[in-house]
Amino acid sequence: MRPNADSEPQRIMVVRCPPLCGPDASPAGPQAARLFERVIGAVTGFCPNVEATELGVCAFGARGPARYFGGEGALASKIIAAVAELSVESRIGVADGMFAALLAARRAEPIDPAEPVLVIPPGGTAGFLAAQPVSVLADQDLAGLLKRLGLLTLGDLAALPASDVASRFGDAGEAVHRLARGLDLRPLAARPPAHDLSVAREFDPPEPLAEPVVFAAKTLAEQLHAGLAARGLTCVRVQVRVTWADGEESSRLWRHDGLLTAAGVADRVRWQLDGRPATPPDGQYAQGGIGMLRLVPDQVVRATGHQLALWGEAMVSDRVARAAMRVQAMLGHEAVLRPVTGGGRNVSEQVSHVPFGEKREPLLAAGPPWPGRIAGAAPGVVYPAAREAEVTDDAGRLVTVTGRCVLSAVPARLVIGPEPPRRITAWAGPWPLSERWWDAVAARRRARFQLATDDGRVWLAVVRDSRWLIEAGYW
Amino acid sequence: MVPGTGVLPALPALRGLLPRGGLARGSVLAVPEFGLLCLALAAGASAAGAWCGIAGVPEAGLAAAVGTGLDVERTLLVPDPGPAWPQVVASLLDGCELVLLRPPVTVPVQVRRRLEAVLRRAGGVLLVAGDWPGAQVHLRVITQRWTGLGDGHGRVRACCAEVTADGRGEAALTRTRWLWLPAEDGGVAVADPVDIPVPDIPATRMQPGLRAVSAG
Repeated sequence: MRPNADSEPQRIMVVRCPPLCGPDASPAGPQAARLFERVIGAVTGFCPNVEATELGVCAFGARGPARYFGGEGALASKIIAAVAELSVESRIGVADGMFAALLAARRAEPIDPAEPVLVIPPGGTAGFLAAQPVSVLADQDLAGLLKRLGLLTLGDLAALPASDVASRFGDAGEAVHRLARGLDLRPLAARPPAHDLSVAREFDPPEPLAEPVVFAAKTLAEQLHAGLAARGLTCVRVQVRVTWADGEESSRLWRHDGLLTAAGVADRVRWQLDGRPATPPDGQYAQGGIGMLRLVPDQVVRATGHQLALWGEAMVSDRVARAAMRVQAMLGHEAVLRPVTGGGRNVSEQVSHVPFGEKREPLLAAGPPWPGRIAGAAPGVVYPAAREAEVTDDAGRLVTVTGRCVLSAVPARLVIGPEPPRRITAWAGPWPLSERWWDAVAARRRARFQLATDDGRVWLAVVRDSRWLIEAGYW
Repeated sequence: MVPGTGVLPALPALRGLLPRGGLARGSVLAVPEFGLLCLALAAGASAAGAWCGIAGVPEAGLAAAVGTGLDVERTLLVPDPGPAWPQVVASLLDGCELVLLRPPVTVPVQVRRRLEAVLRRAGGVLLVAGDWPGAQVHLRVITQRWTGLGDGHGRVRACCAEVTADGRGEAALTRTRWLWLPAEDGGVAVADPVDIPVPDIPATRMQPGLRAVSAG
């Protein structure tokens, strides 16, 4: 039985700050988190119960505040003005239900840049959604499949019977069908759970640095999920409550459709902590450290069978996992990597690195042939960033390569960065490589060489845009 | 995890260089500069089931390491261990039997002593790409002769390297071996004296205009 499963979704207002979210966020990481923390502060002035859906996007139930501030449009204008005072642009969307409101906020700007608010009137959400292309769905694989089946808009999808969609596309299909009809992704669990499912960790003495707290958050998140899973539940939002040593508390709601992995929760704790500027140079917090971290599950729903795959595979022994996680606690999640061999034409692409604890998948699959990759022994030294170099002929002129791969002269000397020049004793090349020529942005043309120098080394050099770069060394 | 014998296995080609035919647990091996030799030293233990941590070497060429026998499934990388690198290495030593480290700075004596104590307690092996005065074994590549590369033609096929090892105690005797590092198949092999390529004779350089080989 699903009580109030298909009841009318709530009016939701979404505030989106394009400069702070998405892959092209202009201030990076901690700086964006800090600004966003202030944006949430400003929005909280209008409605106390604000939840953050991701970095740069927050939402709240609009009914009450709109009535108080004289309508949804008036409220939106006030919020945009308040956020603009922090020199952050924002867009606002209002609609029935979270999904439609998020889309409306994303669409708000193209409609009117001067007044970036898009209000979908009550009851109009289904019509608004029907016109949206399926590519707005988060599940891009499913969106691609729908497109190939001729279902180009959410309206096309919504017109199909729910049972047919569910039987053809399973859980994922059922979920997007609900979204397309303007319903919330998952109905709320009818009753709040009888037990307190929140988890907490006290730090005694207070922890002055962020990293160990983020690390503890990962373990806490696992406990939280385990506790929920034992009751067949999962949660749509997680409340992260940080209590500082001086008694101050910072609390945020983080929403995630689907399920936040332990690493995902840890990221959000990091963003929240980054909102507090630490005092340089020792990176310690002015509030005297963090006394307590509590994770509270919010909007508990029935679990539909998502599994938490914390490890890509089961072969990591406890001993190694403990060691790796201790280093992650010191340096951050991304600091401990596991290599995965894959395919690719360039030496730097053939091994990808995956943070410890995440699923190991190569960037480029090893399966397909990669014509143009250099055959033979692989270089023992592969520079993460190619090093600037100069290759000159006997007369000291720079050796150049034409578009048709003709060399201007025989390479005779190699100078890498500030190092003393080396005499070239043997060389081979140029081997041309033109990748992704169909894509103006990603296209790369390069000529590759192997250069042996008088110190017994062999270098892998490339010429790109008339510049010599050293990519790797064989020794 | 390799069962608790006193040495971690090394690749067969490298056994002749090492005092007990392997990497003695609790010992430090030092190679002055990072290169394929470091990866090959780790490869034997890794292939036998040991976990290998690589700290402070962002440019480790893992494709080449796989060629020598390293198992990337059991490899942890900490490309930038930062200023707290001694703690990072100590933590890695708790989980990995072999840690390859390039210290970011000259290692102070106290730090060296502390890490050596951790190493003895954990029963691992520390492979240092750099200077480590107390190392039990010092290995270095003296000569490298590459085959396959010509004057504008060919490609790198293999390298014949002369490697020496000396050190303290049982390693005091200097050992020298010629190795294919790497061999044509990417692995490591002992070089037969007749195969060792003769050093380059500085040939008269051809003028660019006289080249018969097409540049494409």
